[in-house]
Amino acid sequence: MAKFVGSRTRSKEGPRHVTGRGFYTDDFTLPGMLQAVVLRSPHAHAEIVSVDPSEALNPNVMAVITPDDIKRATKPFKPGRYAAGLKRPIDEYASAVDRVRYVGEPVAAVAARDRGIAEDALEWIAVEYEPLRAVVDVREAIKPSSAVLFDELGTNLAWQGSLSYGDIEGAFRSADRVVKENLKIHRYSSTPLEPFVVVAAYDGASRRLTVWVTAQVPEVIYDGVREALGLQDVRVIIPDVGGGFGQKIHLIRKYVVLVSLLAIKTGRPVKWVEDRSEHMMAGGHACAQEFEAEAAVKNDGTVLGLRFREYDDVGGSISTLTIHFTNKLNNLSNTYRTPAIHMEGFAVVTNKCPVIPNRGIGKPGMCFVWERMMDRVAQALNLSPIEVRRKNLIQPNEMPYRTISGNVYDSGDYPGLLSTLLEKINYDKLREEQKDARAQGKLMGIGVVIGVEPGGRNAARDMAIFPEMKEPPGSGGINGATIKLEKNGTIALFLGSPNCGQAHETTTAQVAAEILGTTPDQISTSIPFDSDLSPWGVAAANSGNNFHLYDIGAIHGAATRLKEKILKLAAHVLDTEPAKLTIENGVVQLPGSMAKKIAFAELGRIAYNNQHLIPDDMEAGLQTTFYYTFPHAKPNIVPGADRLVRAQFTFSAGAHAAVVEVDKQTGTVEVLRYLIVGDNGTVINPDVVNGQVFGSAAHGIAVALGEGFVYSPEGQPLTITYLDYGKCSTAETPKIEVIHRPSPSPFTPLGQKAAGEGAAIPSPAAIASAVEDALAPLGVKIRGLPLTPEAVWRLVHGRGSEKEGA
Amino acid sequence: MKHTVRVTINGRLYEEDVEPRLLLSHFLRENIGLTGTHIGCVVGECGACTILLDNKLVKSCLHFAVQAHGREITTIEGLAKNDELSPIQEAFVKHYALQCGYCTPGMVLASYALLRDHPNPTEEQIRKGLAGNLCMCTGYMQIVEAVKDAARGSPHG
Repeated sequence: MAKFVGSRTRSKEGPRHVTGRGFYTDDFTLPGMLQAVVLRSPHAHAEIVSVDPSEALNPNVMAVITPDDIKRATKPFKPGRYAAGLKRPIDEYASAVDRVRYVGEPVAAVAARDRGIAEDALEWIAVEYEPLRAVVDVREAIKPSSAVLFDELGTNLAWQGSLSYGDIEGAFRSADRVVKENLKIHRYSSTPLEPFVVVAAYDGASRRLTVWVTAQVPEVIYDGVREALGLQDVRVIIPDVGGGFGQKIHLIRKYVVLVSLLAIKTGRPVKWVEDRSEHMMAGGHACAQEFEAEAAVKNDGTVLGLRFREYDDVGGSISTLTIHFTNKLNNLSNTYRTPAIHMEGFAVVTNKCPVIPNRGIGKPGMCFVWERMMDRVAQALNLSPIEVRRKNLIQPNEMPYRTISGNVYDSGDYPGLLSTLLEKINYDKLREEQKDARAQGKLMGIGVVIGVEPGGRNAARDMAIFPEMKEPPGSGGINGATIKLEKNGTIALFLGSPNCGQAHETTTAQVAAEILGTTPDQISTSIPFDSDLSPWGVAAANSGNNFHLYDIGAIHGAATRLKEKILKLAAHVLDTEPAKLTIENGVVQLPGSMAKKIAFAELGRIAYNNQHLIPDDMEAGLQTTFYYTFPHAKPNIVPGADRLVRAQFTFSAGAHAAVVEVDKQTGTVEVLRYLIVGDNGTVINPDVVNGQVFGSAAHGIAVALGEGFVYSPEGQPLTITYLDYGKCSTAETPKIEVIHRPSPSPFTPLGQKAAGEGAAIPSPAAIASAVEDALAPLGVKIRGLPLTPEAVWRLVHGRGSEKEGA
Repeated sequence: MKHTVRVTINGRLYEEDVEPRLLLSHFLRENIGLTGTHIGCVVGECGACTILLDNKLVKSCLHFAVQAHGREITTIEGLAKNDELSPIQEAFVKHYALQCGYCTPGMVLASYALLRDHPNPTEEQIRKGLAGNLCMCTGYMQIVEAVKDAARGSPHG
């Protein structure tokens, strides 16, 4: 019987955060530390003619780095897996070197005695630009008449490709109907409240660089900085991270290089803190995606095939070219049995902020395509949208289920999620209420959608789309954890991944306490991550909903091994057999014997001090490191000729219902109810999982209802503050209800599955569906997001472009 | 030219010479070392730098340090007495009303001031009262619950 797994254990992170004792990178000060600021491009697209820093230097301004310095002192980043599909190599440095391709692109950086002096110095750097025509619209960008961002490519269509599973032509040939629709999702981001922050210190005599950074993936920083600066000895320390959501995985490496170069150049520690407007214009956006989708259907609602073409507006960088397309392999089938799917992608570079891996990376887009198309199919066939979904759902008795692209869905009861949702939201009664509301002229709507939330990681997935790749760009996941019984009997944990708000400390303590027979209050988890001390968590970091699989797997494995050692040592000291012993509240005992017991504290004293009490066949010390890999990752961890591949490994799911009312006068959408019935497998801590679901749902809803980035036709960002951008506060965020209906995974140590990206994946589709239902009396179709009050007002009043939808 | 600021922070008097352009948020963090006051936007939109200035809830990034001269400040570090969490802090911990923790100091102080002024707030009062503080992680659900619970358990006197 689980004591701590599944319990509402008290938060271990909470006390320090509510007292202001969290420790973030910006809270860190070193003697002699300088402050850096970054000079950014005011142009969307321009040649850099010259950069002259001579006027900026004075006794308080210690260094300026220019594009010439960057070219001389650093190497371009190696195109990583996010750039898969790039036709020919294009150097990307930490700053612009010859041309700027988005407003806010770094051009130079200054280090000075304080931030005010550094900002003043920026004004004195003379940059001559030769402005070029800005490329802002994706469809315009791929016309031959468009200006071109990268001369090396000769076109803004940086990549194009396709992938098919099943007999797609046959599906369309044998269909009763073909249902077509054009859809789009806009640019947004999760805008973590803590901006990018980097502190770098360089010990020149030892050629050792230490960086403290608010990053999510240590590996990206560690590899990126070593490659760019040609250093071997790099230490990466990641303290508390004030929100990640993917924003802090990739693009932040540029700034680590710039700040490190300033530290190397000045011989002094340097800190850089991004400001909010810098983050909004240059910190990375989720990709705007346009879709041309068509479904081959039978008259009874069965979807025989789905074909979609996707245009990704990837912004002014080639380093994240295809991520929003390739990630669609992760939830390509959503919850459906459809036997044929064809995907075709176009990655288009534009003069906008580069895209980054934001919460779900393309998965919200995939779910949006599926769920909008399900509604369209229902409309075309005059069936209920619920029935159309039910008709196509993978059934619980088919689990584990292999999808058409090779994903193996571990567990789930999708019809059950849907029926519980309908029951709990009182769907039939809502439809009656809707009739009354409509009779009174009110625009009330109900949207019901369903989606999977994949967890785990397999970058070798990309080889299905890029078969020319010679070796997998990181297949599967490998993640370490170290556990140590301290001399006083408490337990210390060291994780391979930094914490950015997912309660790593609380959750891992619950799991370790469960296995070791102690209590979570006796366990501490080491924050910060420190590459000198922590095991590598290359796979997990804290992205892609990996914590549940790799960190929990690693802690589970490490604690299990430590328990074996504890029992072996205790048995030796107590002169009995390990198998006969039990552990409770940190005391090892022989059941039935009063005398034969020994506390963890006593074992701690022995393990590190008393050689003669340690069994000869036991390694001294009570510390173990365990590297976890998902044991059921094969086959199809690497795609073969059939392109079948397991893109992720665990599959949480959620059914969402949104009830909305549209105000005709203002176009404002009020969310009256939002209910999620979710399957996150075994829930280790309900409060933690609920928090992840609430937060991801709230963000998806806000994205659907108006938050987002807007550019002028000249490529100027118009949304560079939280208010411009439309961030939701308590006043705008609706109440969200969550009901758990877990189907534990048969493949993970505790039956756990992912939670984190989850509700951000189906929620934009749920809102679109509900708003369309509300506007049904007006015959309006929702094809795109965001549904800002202005966009909705235009739809209501027939002044919107119906094609655009929003 | 520097100006002298004499200010009482969390019950203790400080005297510092500062540049007139130094923001109060940066003064608290860098001159006084109270890093619980976080900075998320520096333009008064996010509320991470919320403090109490003469018992009034303000965003410290919208004040210059010199404006605090002769006044009293409570920061997040001043809310717990003798390392005992105040009721609103305890409610935040109990309800997991935080994830990354970055908005938390401001959110806790805003909740504290809300409950001081409205000991039994309605949900609408809570949602209006906290609307000056943004959180990117939680969707606010558990924050609202924590405030309700603190109101039920121990209204602030």
